[in-house]
Amino acid sequence: MEYTKQEFMTIVTGREIKDGQLIILGVGLSMLAGYFAQKNHAPNLMPFTEGGVYGSTPVGGLPWGIECNRISANATSFTNAIDALGFLVASGRCDNAVIGAAQVDKYGNVNTTGIWEEPPWKLGKYTPPRVRLNGSGGANDISVGAKSYLIMASHEKRRFIEKVDYISSPGYLDGGDARERAGFVGGGPSAIISTLGILRPDPESKEFYLEAYYPFTNVEKVKENTGWDLKVIDEVKMVPEPSEQELANLRSVDTTGSLRKKG
Amino acid sequence: MQNKLISMQEAVTSYTWDGMTYCHGAAFPVGSDSVAFGKEMVKQGRKDLNVICHCGSSQVNLLAAVGAVRRCEVGFSGLEVYGFANGLNRAITSGQTIIEDYSNGAMAFRLFGGAMNWPFVPATVNISNDQQWCSGDSPDSYPATEKIPTITDPFTGRTLGAFRSLRPELAAIHVTMADIYGNAIMLGSEWSRFEMSRAAEKVVLVADQIVDTDCMRQYPNLVRIIAEVVDAVVYWPMCSWPQASCGLYDSDEEHMFMMNKAMKTAEETEEYCKEWVHAYNTPQEYLDLIGQDKIEMVSATETGFLMDPYRKWIKSEAQIKELMDRKEG
Repeated sequence: MEYTKQEFMTIVTGREIKDGQLIILGVGLSMLAGYFAQKNHAPNLMPFTEGGVYGSTPVGGLPWGIECNRISANATSFTNAIDALGFLVASGRCDNAVIGAAQVDKYGNVNTTGIWEEPPWKLGKYTPPRVRLNGSGGANDISVGAKSYLIMASHEKRRFIEKVDYISSPGYLDGGDARERAGFVGGGPSAIISTLGILRPDPESKEFYLEAYYPFTNVEKVKENTGWDLKVIDEVKMVPEPSEQELANLRSVDTTGSLRKKG
Repeated sequence: MQNKLISMQEAVTSYTWDGMTYCHGAAFPVGSDSVAFGKEMVKQGRKDLNVICHCGSSQVNLLAAVGAVRRCEVGFSGLEVYGFANGLNRAITSGQTIIEDYSNGAMAFRLFGGAMNWPFVPATVNISNDQQWCSGDSPDSYPATEKIPTITDPFTGRTLGAFRSLRPELAAIHVTMADIYGNAIMLGSEWSRFEMSRAAEKVVLVADQIVDTDCMRQYPNLVRIIAEVVDAVVYWPMCSWPQASCGLYDSDEEHMFMMNKAMKTAEETEEYCKEWVHAYNTPQEYLDLIGQDKIEMVSATETGFLMDPYRKWIKSEAQIKELMDRKEG
């Protein structure tokens, strides 16, 4: 069966989303994973966006933004950021979310703010970045407040690094009980779903380890593409291939084929 | 109640100045924003701005690209699927614009604090990470202690942060429809426009459509921005273009990419401005510049039915002109 890495990653992320969950989705892969899950196995999913767009599904293609008309043509409610990111997310009510990462480290901290020659934590001061990214958007609110959430990232050594340049959205900070000490209401990231496999946090140390790899790769390749000394569980498994039904459901959501272009 | 309709030129001349703290809304990267107001600020040469925007839209991208932004507080600086905001990012990486990053939630909470006239808002997000530790205003201290200072919950003893409340000197807010007094209905997500309209010292609405006040009397629950907090109303059709306005037009995909590409360099930005910013004065000239074919294309939006209940109250161009003339007379 033919599929792209991006399609596989989106299906694997979708499998982590459970029926009945209240879930906040961002643009791109996040929405595709969410709406795939809704179509495939979670008909009672309650997706919403950080702008407070509720009850809708995309119309006419992948939305250009969380407020795009493509996600606003069949909504049951429009509210606002205080409601969506405050009352439902920062408060601790939201069950799940999917966020992206330009860099992610072994404790699931995410950087979407910038890339530095010398990051602020190393330099001891905050200089302009070499490359400016987007900032945290709503992902900081999600990472602190959601009961759990999923991180999607392209699995490359320069992205999966020992310590991110800038923590835009905190995972388990420096591990162990650091989140509890910081007073975060939410539970932290439940998995990093990459283009090569599934990483989970160790229950004690909170360091992410390899739980499963995709059929087109192997443990060694995943380790080679990870910038920290990635631990692998003894019973490491291969992730099952997407079923025909899963692929059909994903493609019915990804009507413009955005995931098929990316190889 | 006073008729507050004024022209775009007059609004920018009267309510903006160099060095001010300027807030625009909704400041969505793809959807609602008072983009046309920002273009008029460029036309009038405003500079040294302290910009508060919930997200980076085409507006702050343009203002930063022409070098008019000294400092910017933002929750998300990109243009979502349209890419990184090239003009704003160029200004940030070159050091021309100081950036203070917050989350999208935090920007709304801080405007809410400003609306309440609270000195600060308790922060349970943006703390214990680089949103708190990195400050463009005090770049030499890491971790920064003054951006989101640590406070103690007096009831539980829990450690929290304190967000500085936001009281912008002006908010230029895009709305779908307004009456001449400043009552407004927004279709789509309102993002932070409700609290923004109460936090700002002055409020100018930029409306795609002007409607009769009877429309407000039919749907008073939907009138989230009220005349009592509004100083001026500008009629400017396709105000968010090339971004979208829910119920009226989709984002102009071709122009979004083209404009953002031009923002990459100062030279191309200047070319862009010559062609798309300085080339019109009236709403009609602006619509002519966008072109009838393009307007028809983006107006064929799947959200069009959302406007149906309001159509009978929409004022025609002639009626709006009469209302403006009567005011001036």
